[in-house]
Amino acid sequence: MQETYARAFRSWQSYTPGTNLRAWLLRILTNLNIDRGRRAQRTPDSQPLEEGDYFLYNRLETATGETEEERVVERLSQDNVAEALSAVPHDFRDVVVLVDIGEFSYADAAQILDIPIGTVMSRLHRGRRILKKELAELAVDSQ
Amino acid sequence: MSEIDPCEWCEQALQPYLDRELNGEDEAKVKSHLASCSWCEKRYKFEEDLRILVRQSVVEPMAPELKAKLANLRLEL
Repeated sequence: MQETYARAFRSWQSYTPGTNLRAWLLRILTNLNIDRGRRAQRTPDSQPLEEGDYFLYNRLETATGETEEERVVERLSQDNVAEALSAVPHDFRDVVVLVDIGEFSYADAAQILDIPIGTVMSRLHRGRRILKKELAELAVDSQ
Repeated sequence: MSEIDPCEWCEQALQPYLDRELNGEDEAKVKSHLASCSWCEKRYKFEEDLRILVRQSVVEPMAPELKAKLANLRLEL
């Protein structure tokens, strides 16, 4: 997959020389792939994910009872997120990494990955849902 | 045609809103809904925090030497 990115970045017109963005993204993706190898994938691509976008918040709030003072996100650790992200199938994760972490626009992500913008949007949607489902399992169900 | 529930609409629009991919009209609609609905606002804040956490979780960890150096600096202050 590193190859794909290297190729994509080479042909990416709006890449700004002098930034180490490319190296950084490649490192993230490489690290995630290493992590992924250590863990069996539990979420097949075809699994239905019908719950809404507020699903994870609602689960975390219900699980422990939200107080005004504490932020719900504090129930999640960086380790939780890294593990959950590495469990997202790579087609979906690539888009999540580019948009959520790299802060690329849908159009730029489409150009980098050489896929239609509609595919970026659907993979992003699904990728985020899988990520949240994994996070719920790690942070709520394991307690 | 029946009006869609505003919170349901907001839930659907929230990710593209965070991605700054909504058109001006929809963006204004989300903003005004969040300003008037604490239920959605709480969830919006969570989604925003989660983005930050995702970003932090994949950042390369700081070298222990650098961490120690920074800790010492803080003590001196």
